Amino acid sequence: MITSAVNHYYRSSIGRKHLVALTGLLLCGFLVGHLSGNFLLLMGPDAFNLYGHRLFSLGAALYVIEGGLGLVFLVHLGLALRLTFENYRARGNQKYAAKKNTGRGTTFMSWSMPWTGLVLLVFTILHLINLKFGPYYTTSVEGIEMRDLYRVTMEYFQDPLHVAWYVFAMICAALHTAHGVASAFQSLGLNHGRYYPKIKAFSYIYAVLVGGGFAFISVWAHFQGV
Amino acid sequence: MSIKLDSKIPQGPLSEKWEKHKFDSKLINPANKRKFTVIVVGTGLAGGSAAATLAELGYNVLSFCIQDSPRRAHSIAAQGGINAAKNYPNDGDSIKRLFYDTVKGGDYRAREANVYRLAQVSNNIIDQMVAQGVPFAREYGGYLDNRSFGGAQVSRTFYARGQTGQQLLLGAYSGMMKMVAKGKIKQFNRREMMDLVTINGKARGIIVRNLITGELERYAADAVLLCTGGYGNVFYLSTNAKASNASAAWRCYKKGAAFANPCFTQIHPTCIPVHGDYQSKLTLMSESLRNDGRVWVPKKKDDSRKPADIPDEERDYYLERVYPSFGNLAPRDVSSRQAKFRCDEGLGVGPTKQAVYLDFRDAIKRDGLETIAGRYGNLFEMYERITGDDPYKTPMMIYPAVHYTMGGLWVDYNLMSTIPGLHVLGEANFSDHGANRLGASALMQGLADGYFVIPYTLGHYLASTPLEKVTTDDNAFKDAEQAVMLQTSKLLGVNGKRTVDDFHKALGHTMWDHVGMSRNEAGLKKAIHDIRNLREEFWQDVNVPGDTGNFNLELHKATRLADFLELGELMALDALERRESCGGHFREEYQTEDNEAKRDDENFAHAAVWEYTGANSSPIRHQEELQFENVKLATRSYK
Amino acid sequence: MASGNMSLNLKIWRQKSGEDQGKLVDYQVQNVSPDMSFLEMIDVLNEQLVRKGEDTIAFDHDCREGICGMCSMMIDGKAHGGFKNTTTCQVHMRHYKDGDTIVIEPFRARAFPVIKDLTVDRTAIDKVMMAGGYITASTGNAQDGNAVLIPKPIADEAMDAAACIACGACVASCPNSSGMLFMGAKISQLALLPQGKPESPKRALNMVQTHDNLGFGNCSTHAECEATCPKGISIEHIARMNREYLKAAFTYYDKKRSE
Repeated sequence: MITSAVNHYYRSSIGRKHLVALTGLLLCGFLVGHLSGNFLLLMGPDAFNLYGHRLFSLGAALYVIEGGLGLVFLVHLGLALRLTFENYRARGNQKYAAKKNTGRGTTFMSWSMPWTGLVLLVFTILHLINLKFGPYYTTSVEGIEMRDLYRVTMEYFQDPLHVAWYVFAMICAALHTAHGVASAFQSLGLNHGRYYPKIKAFSYIYAVLVGGGFAFISVWAHFQGV
Repeated sequence: MSIKLDSKIPQGPLSEKWEKHKFDSKLINPANKRKFTVIVVGTGLAGGSAAATLAELGYNVLSFCIQDSPRRAHSIAAQGGINAAKNYPNDGDSIKRLFYDTVKGGDYRAREANVYRLAQVSNNIIDQMVAQGVPFAREYGGYLDNRSFGGAQVSRTFYARGQTGQQLLLGAYSGMMKMVAKGKIKQFNRREMMDLVTINGKARGIIVRNLITGELERYAADAVLLCTGGYGNVFYLSTNAKASNASAAWRCYKKGAAFANPCFTQIHPTCIPVHGDYQSKLTLMSESLRNDGRVWVPKKKDDSRKPADIPDEERDYYLERVYPSFGNLAPRDVSSRQAKFRCDEGLGVGPTKQAVYLDFRDAIKRDGLETIAGRYGNLFEMYERITGDDPYKTPMMIYPAVHYTMGGLWVDYNLMSTIPGLHVLGEANFSDHGANRLGASALMQGLADGYFVIPYTLGHYLASTPLEKVTTDDNAFKDAEQAVMLQTSKLLGVNGKRTVDDFHKALGHTMWDHVGMSRNEAGLKKAIHDIRNLREEFWQDVNVPGDTGNFNLELHKATRLADFLELGELMALDALERRESCGGHFREEYQTEDNEAKRDDENFAHAAVWEYTGANSSPIRHQEELQFENVKLATRSYK
Repeated sequence: MASGNMSLNLKIWRQKSGEDQGKLVDYQVQNVSPDMSFLEMIDVLNEQLVRKGEDTIAFDHDCREGICGMCSMMIDGKAHGGFKNTTTCQVHMRHYKDGDTIVIEPFRARAFPVIKDLTVDRTAIDKVMMAGGYITASTGNAQDGNAVLIPKPIADEAMDAAACIACGACVASCPNSSGMLFMGAKISQLALLPQGKPESPKRALNMVQTHDNLGFGNCSTHAECEATCPKGISIEHIARMNREYLKAAFTYYDKKRSE
């Protein structure tokens, strides 16, 4: 019985939305962690590299965390794609000749969710290739040999095209989360007249801070030089 | 005399009649109920509640509606509320008082026993609807709230904002949906009843048109319940929905069901006035507005000042002046007539001079804007949307409009017409409101009939009547279908020049001018003459494009109008023959010195019941004498 | 009093039947008065068509006072014209000006197939209601209406949700053609009321499942439904449905419910 209830849940529109919301919020949490790490760049190479080294020294635990994160990402992506496809089909074969929004509901952020999501997908792949799986420099901090992630990052951002792409992607991330965070609360059933305006405000603040934070660092890195 | 009018009112004291009757009614055991099929035409409060309840009891129900969903029946538009004798406010209400108010409100032209039963079951309706999830207005303590309505001095009206009809209908509809899901109701949407099929004198089926495909379909059953509402659209402009029509009832009339009191129509005093000849319908503003709104006209003719600039001493709050004890809550017929008198005197306001003010200035001053907005916000919004005027700032302009028809197919105490097996519920029958219906009583009657009366009386009919097996292959079905086809091809074949709406508007003008709020002999005779001519012209000059084989809206309208053109004449004839004034039927020849309706109880304390005798002969007028044993006939006074 | 003097260009979707390919057809309508309702303007056009012996434009309408939910239409790409708390029958021509071009299409959704022109089949809504949009309270066994007290704010909120007229504008305007608002409104109404609570989990599970099977889309919280809902129903009710559903999916247990 339990499995069938969960099965029902997974197969239903609302269940899938719950999962998209939950995974989305987890990813948002991850972004906060990632961003705080990135701010260590401002404190110089040693601080940043040491941070990277500590993460790597988690060993197997790191793989578990990364694997979990990857799974969350894939669930989020897979379900969102599926829902988007279903939504497209739900209109039927004949689309509107002249569909307009009232201006009181759909926003650019909500409308562009699938597109900003796709940008983020491409971005994530490139990001992993360019940085995580990018050049392997080594350096030594306090006598310990470790990967020089600071250099990898700073070098990457010397190319203005890289910065432009990164800033664009972060704008997409801001747009995606500005709608996504509040929407996730709604999907989880946490919308109540008294709190929802605050949740929405939180959603916007989150988007600006996180998107802006990442973008700022990329620009800073560019001008800071290697 | 070919029809026999036996009202079948049970013996015994008034308050025990219904209990006794229920006990005396035959029952059908649960296992046998599933052997019976019942057709329910119409899914408003009466039809919806009947279909749901009968299905719950175990009958197989075939339910038909002309809309795309049963939830759209016009009961949905009732705004103000529903009466019940709960006496929650402790203000002196009782079953007896609700009974008395209703009989008096109907100007002593309704059956005592029926009205008493209505008052008795009124309380069960509230309980039932609460159980089904109708979100009635509540007080902070969680108790049900009441408000007052016209024609009563107690607060007995339960309401769900300004959408009581909607909420009650959705309650009945939800009950139906539950039974549709269980397979006990087969729901047929977008079907219009075209004729009744009788076999061996009993109602055994119907012919319907599938409005989408245009095809005719046959359905057989053991009994037919007609819950098809009123015929106010004979006036073209009314508060009824566009598709509301009289055809189902009219076809039954032509098949032998007697039609009672066709001239009893209710003109509702608070509607938004007519503003152009393109207008397609009139919008009602709930009677509840008269709880706080004050009705007035300027004392001076052609006063061109803005209403706000007219000082109090130059305003005539005529309802408060003429009826000091009921004031603005005088019953509908009385209030409407007073508005007409003022306009006839040249005191009307607005561009057409066919309107009076309904003013909330004093209520807003007394209770504050917020309170008034809380009570009537949605109605004010609706008014503003239609007229462009803001009722918070300037008084509403209102004028009476056709709203409800008290007349309808004659039924006995069991709600059965003169055709055995054909039962008529809700507005479609004539039974409970006499010559005038009080506000918040229509919802009560529809649901009483469907929930609490028909389940007993139909059971008794089915249990006590030998019903041979019939199928839709029977010749009676073939013949009825043929007749419908013939009429349809005739309509499509005229190929004239005038549109259906053109004819309907012409009929409406005649009806409104001569068979409306105020009637006289010369006018009624003229109306009969004019309607006959119009009918003839209709069959020679109407233009119905398209064919039967698809969703042909003009054809649907034309079919309905053909029946209105016959019904209108009967209404005028009935009004002519009723040589008295009572309730909504005001004959100018019969009025008191101060212009009140003057009843003639000696000669007209009866229901006029018309029997169809053929297309080329006059109908016969029968009488069902009304016995008043519990209420003393008195001049109805709201002063 | 005379008819007005606006002249309008209309592009109206004409489609003979469900199987037919439809297209937008141009019409001109003259003498439109600003006091006319939108449907009265179409009436005028239809009268013109009758006089020319042409098939009239089929559109759903009935009460013409904004409560029956029959009227539909996408007017210039917006359900019911996109005015706040307004159905098509309540739109008046004073919102338009002489010479305007107005595009009129039917509500579009896979769950609402076109029957003819601007008329669509919305029985999918009934089907969702059949799956649980009711309280099982058979006639006759109800207790006194005041036996269970309902706090006024709760009754009011239930009424907010109950105001739904099932017109389908939420589905038509939703970029995903989702039926979550009308369904959420019903689930929310009945979950708020004590009378509806006993069946709440089963109702949520069954209605959502039916909704999905009928081909409606999912909710992306655009809130376009809320914006076009003629009764101003809030997406808070969707959130309440989501809660009810979540609770039900993980806690509801009924041996008889075979799955």
